[in-house]
Parts: sequence; C-alpha cells; structure tokens
Amino acid sequence: MRARWVGVGALGAALAGCGGERAATGPVTTGAGVRLVATVGVPANYGQHDQFFRAGLAFLCSWNTGLQVYDVGDGRAGGSPQNPKLVSRIVTAGGQVHNAWWYWAPDGQKRYVFVGQEGPGVIGSSSSGDIHVVDVADLTAPVEVASYHLAGAGAHYFWVDEPHQILYAAYYNGGVVALDVSGTLSGDLSGREIARVQPGGAGNTYVWGVIPFNGSLYVSDMLSGFWQLALAGDTLRVLGGGNNVPERYGSGLAIANGFAYSGTWGSRAGVLGNAVKIWQLGPSGAPVLHDSVVTPGFTTVSDVKVSDDGRMLMFSAEFGPAAGLYFYSLVGDPGHPAFIAHYPVTANSENGVHTAEFAEIGGRRYVFAAEDPPIPGMMILDVTSIRP
Amino acid sequence: MTPGPPDVLCGRVRRGHVVVVVVAALALPPAPLAAQAMFGAQITPVLTRADPVPGGSSLTELRFTAPFLMGTADFLGGRLRLHATLDGEGWTMPGGQLATGGFGEGWEDRRHPHTWAHELLVTAIDLTPVPGGVHWSLTAGKGFAPYGTDDPMSRPALGYPVNHHWSQILERAVAILGLRYGPVTLEGAIFNGDEPERWDQWPNWRRFADSWSLRALIQPSAAVELQASYAQVRSPDNRPGAGPGHDKVSVSARMEHALGSGRIYGLAEWAYNSEANGFFKYYSGLAEAQWSRAAHRAYVRFERTDRPEEERVFGNPFRWNLPHLENSTIGMTRWSIATAGYGRGLTPAHLPVHMEVIAEVEYARVTSLTGLFDPTSFYGRSDLWMASAALRIAAGEPMHRMGRYGVAADGGHVMMMPSPERE
Repeated sequence: MRARWVGVGALGAALAGCGGERAATGPVTTGAGVRLVATVGVPANYGQHDQFFRAGLAFLCSWNTGLQVYDVGDGRAGGSPQNPKLVSRIVTAGGQVHNAWWYWAPDGQKRYVFVGQEGPGVIGSSSSGDIHVVDVADLTAPVEVASYHLAGAGAHYFWVDEPHQILYAAYYNGGVVALDVSGTLSGDLSGREIARVQPGGAGNTYVWGVIPFNGSLYVSDMLSGFWQLALAGDTLRVLGGGNNVPERYGSGLAIANGFAYSGTWGSRAGVLGNAVKIWQLGPSGAPVLHDSVVTPGFTTVSDVKVSDDGRMLMFSAEFGPAAGLYFYSLVGDPGHPAFIAHYPVTANSENGVHTAEFAEIGGRRYVFAAEDPPIPGMMILDVTSIRP
Repeated sequence: MTPGPPDVLCGRVRRGHVVVVVVAALALPPAPLAAQAMFGAQITPVLTRADPVPGGSSLTELRFTAPFLMGTADFLGGRLRLHATLDGEGWTMPGGQLATGGFGEGWEDRRHPHTWAHELLVTAIDLTPVPGGVHWSLTAGKGFAPYGTDDPMSRPALGYPVNHHWSQILERAVAILGLRYGPVTLEGAIFNGDEPERWDQWPNWRRFADSWSLRALIQPSAAVELQASYAQVRSPDNRPGAGPGHDKVSVSARMEHALGSGRIYGLAEWAYNSEANGFFKYYSGLAEAQWSRAAHRAYVRFERTDRPEEERVFGNPFRWNLPHLENSTIGMTRWSIATAGYGRGLTPAHLPVHMEVIAEVEYARVTSLTGLFDPTSFYGRSDLWMASAALRIAAGEPMHRMGRYGVAADGGHVMMMPSPERE
C-alpha cells in the first residue's frame, strides 16, 4: 500500500487481506475536462435509474416512465449526444424499470431487450421484481413478449454472455440465476432457468451484480463480498472469493486488465460505502484484494465502469457533498488507478449520480449518467479530453 | 324560505386543473351572519435529554414546541364554521424535536416540525335539515383526514408515539362528508396522498382525491367511543406519486369520565399499515391512560410499533433522503416504549393564561425485525431513555381534538382533552 495524490482526500485504514485502503490526501480537481453536452429530463416518477448504450442508441431505464429508447448517434431519428431524439418508449409490466440490456445474438439477431424490474425490497433480506423481455424487432414499437419470475426474490443487475446465449442475473437474496436466452423468447421463461445459487448461503446473500469473464462469473454481493463462480453444466459452482469485504456492503462491479473493481454501499456499522475495492484476478481467476480507493464526502459508490479500451475507470457517487462522478486512469498500473477528475453533482440535494455508462460516439468518449431525484434526468458528458 | 346563492368558499387553479370546493347554501333559513368567534394561543418550551441518540451519544435540547394560534368562527347559527390552527414550529424548531423511535416526513428519531397551516378548514353542518334525525356535515380545506385516533398533540403525553404516521393522516387537502345518526357517526373523505416534505409546503394539489378514507365512530355511552377506520393512501412518501401505496387500518376504544372528584381517560388502539400491496407490513398497538384531579394529572402510555428504517442523510443521522430513489428500505425495527408523566397546573389567578409544568420519562427497547439495519450498532445499545421537562402556556380557546370536524366533533363526540386546567 502506498500513499498517493488521488484528487480528493482518502481515508486511511488497514484492511484484512493482501490489499489495503489508501491513506492519502491531495488537491481537489473538480470537473476539469468534463463537459456537459445535454440533459434528458425524466419525470420524477421516480426518475432515471440506469442506461444501456449500444451502437448509437441509449436505452433509458426511467422507472415508472418505462424504458425509453433514444437515438444519440444511431442516425435513425437524427439524434446525437448533443441532441438526443426519442425513438420509442414502453412501460413493462409493473413499471419500476431499473436496468436493461439490448441483446445481440450470435446469429446476428438484435431482437430482444431484457429489462430488470426492481420492486419493493428490504435491503439484505427480501426483494421483488421480474425480468421482462421486450421485442424490439421494430424499435419504434417495442412489445413485451416474455418474463421471468423468481418467487421470493427480485432482479437486480444482469449481464448477457452473448456468445453462449446465457443471461446471468443478480437476484438479491435469491442469489445468482443463469437463464438460457437462445432462440425465440415468449411467455413464462421459468423453464429457461439453467442454474441458481446463493453464494453466501441463505441469510448471507444479497447479490448486486454479476459479470462473466474468462470463463468465470464474478459476483458482487452486498453482504458477503466478492465471489468467483462458474457455470458447470447445470450448476453454478463457487470457485473462490467470498466473505472478503466485512467492513462494508458491496455494490456494482467492473472487470478489465486482469483486475476487478467493486463498489461499496451505504453504511455498515458506521463505515461508509465510499470505497472502490480493487481485486487482482490470479491465474485461477480467484479474486485477491489488491488495493482500495476510499473517497470522503459521500455514502455510496453506486456504479463502477471501465471503458471499452480498458484504460479508464469511472464510478458514480451518491449522498453527500462530494457526490458525482469520479474518473481514474488505468494506464500503466491498473491495480493502482490514478485519479483524473471529479465531476460533482450536488444540486440535487447532494444525492449525486446513481449509475453511469461509457459510450464511444463519432470518435469521442461520452458518459451517460443517471442524475438522482429531486431533479432526475440523464446527463450526457463529453469526457474525451480527459481520456488517458 | 328563499334559497340563498351558492357560497364558494375555497378554490384553486393550477395548470388547468381546477379544484373547487363548494359549500352550497341553497336553502338557508334566516340566521345571524356571525354568531361566535374564539381564539387561542399556545406554546410549550420543552427541555429533552435523549440517551442514546443515533451514533451512541446523548443529547439535550431545548425546543419551543407547538406554538399555535387557533381560531374558530361560527356563522349562520353555528351551521357554518371556519377553523384555523397555525403552527409556528417551522420557525421555533426547524431542526425537529428529539423523539426516540419517532419517524415520518423524512425524519427519524426526531419529530418533524408541522406545516404552518396545520388546520385551515370550513365546515357546513346541517345546512339543509335531513329528516329522520340524521345530521350531516361537509368539511373542506387543509387538515386531518378522518382516520384513526386523535392527534398526539391533543392527548396526555408530551412526546409523540412512534405510530403517529400509522394512526393519523395529517396535513392534507381534504374534503370530508360526515353523517351522524344517534350514537353512530360515519365519515368519508378524499384527499391528496402526499405527505409534506417541508414545514412550508402545501399539499400537491394535482394529487387531490387520489386517496380516500372511511371512519366509523360509535358512542355506546357518553363516556365511551369506539372507532374503526380504513384508508388507501397513494404514495405518501413520494410527492410526485411514484411510491407505493399504503393500506391502513385503525381500531380504537376511548373512554373518559368522572371518577370521584377527578377524571380518568383511557385509549387503546391497534393500527396496521400495509405498503406495496402487502410487501411491507407494520403493526402498532398502544394503550394510554390518565388520571386527573384539580390541578394534577398523571399519565402512562405503552406502545409497541414497527417502523421502517431508511438510509440516513450524509452527516445527519436524524434525516433520510427525500425523495426516495426506489421502493426499498434498509430494515424494519420494533419499538417497545413505556412513557410516564406528571403535570401540575399553575394557572395564575391574575393572568388570562393557563400554565402547566410537565415532567415525562420514556424507556424504549428496539429490536430489528428484518434488513440490514442494526439498532445496537446504530445507537450503541438497544435500550434507550428520554426525559423531558416542559412548561405549557396557553390562552384563549382550548386545544380541541385535532382531526375531528363537523358531526364528528359536534353532537356528543367532543370530549374534553385531559388537562388539569379544565377541572
């Protein structure tokens, strides 16, 4: 562990394991090189929760306003990052549209968007909400055609292993679910379930997100830490990790360059979720804590993303005077990210940003970010000039 | 008899939506225009020590609570009543009042300051007589929906119970129809579901009538009142309307009568609050009693109430984030609280004011029912104490049973608030 300038001061604290939390203080760099180019207002119903970007289209997950498809560079509606154009909107059953994934099948079909519904829940104990399948064969007229329901649990973030046509879903207290999404999807998808597991066991599982990588499935669990799983036939097996973030609750994750980056959430016995954990994925893929970046002034790291080129790390921060977006360089030493910039978002009662997504459009790098209520919307930021 | 013109008493226009409440005085018998008006004022400085508060330390605070200006004016021989209660807590205690276990409107372990226009209503009672002994009333304005028990402000204890937001529906734009026949009173109301987020906020007028409630009152004897209520409240915790609805049930029995040279009062209530179609279920049971004689009164209250736990605001463990981002909580806790207090009237003979010194102590135990929230970690321990000393100063119109309007307030349902000043 070494002390470094990280843009905003960091807390120092020892951690169990091989990694540690950086003890560092330094100058505050706010928003330098980050330019807001557009904002898509979303009704406060609750507002904007997440966004999925692919090929010039942005899929806005706007809670009870539904799934909104915007042209931000695709060209079909004349949209651009500076002037997004609404293509269509659908409110899936029950609303509460939380996240989405536009699925490109190996056969070239781009017919389905998977939509996560986040219903009511008691964090750490119970949850609700289904996965809805929307047919976007005609992007101007999306239609819900199928859904998956898991009794006693609710969907959170998911990731589609497109070459293998498997959707891996975080299901909070339900653990992790693997679904076969090959072929035509319709009606009840419960028969498509391949496997399911609660990595921390009953009472110690509340899975936030999953990402398949190099044959493993990495899982960030709010209660039981960071896990390595693998799908073997019809079984999800635990390979490594787990119970390795005892001082904080886990949140979102990203993977690149042989490292995984996981966020933390809320307050656990008074310790705030203001850390990004950096995991080295060893030869077996097992996660080993390598470093942590702790930033004072907010409560939650709600989303973590790495740019497609693997050179830039971004996380969104909520609830506090230092809420907003943080950018780090992964060039040179991805195990010890170097601070680039902080873009504060505090006009919304210091609620900050809930989620964020990188997008490469026309040779420039943008960030699509969900600004929290009470002034919800999707911000589009040009971060090209701070690209490492 | 010559029908009079319609009397438009309250109107509101906003973005093309029109909410007009009309009290039609179509067949008014001759009566004096204004018959009676009463005014009152009250304030209660309270010194409170809570041990522990969120974070594990103790805290002592002085707050000037319930600074009221009250006024009631009767017209048309009492058939038309204007009533206002203006509350200055937004100025005197903008940071709320220590209230172990209390919650609501974005506050936890503190009671929120009430909105400045606490009650602002007009009531028509029996404007046109109905045969068969049926009395009716129509009330409109800002105030309480007919649901549950009396507001804690008009009950014996100084501190609020945890179940305030389970057992009352307050600070709404409301229209209430009341019917009374003999010992039975029925009330039905429509109102806006949203709770205020700040003391200076008006109801969201665009949401008027998205929620409703029904209440039945039965008075089998002069001393006893039985109550049952049901309400459907849309998205109270999210002002724009995105939050889950609440289904609420309340039943209670209340008694008050003379006992020797003194008076006794008792209330037992049970309340149930179901949110998001039953995903969240909160229960509350409460019993309280008071004995009063001359200038003395002593009271006790026992309560067991479930409450939601929310992620607290950065740097302020007494507040949670508003508006919500989604429909999750971080847990549910159960509060078991015993409260005891004593009041001594000190009304000076030469002053037109009533005064009372009050001492109160409260012991609470909190347990986690579900979720991440760990009360022992949050408070440092699971048993909590609170002690208060107060001086209540009042003049003019006495405190009424808040939330009772029209036929629910008249015709035998008004029972004097327990207070030694009234002996």
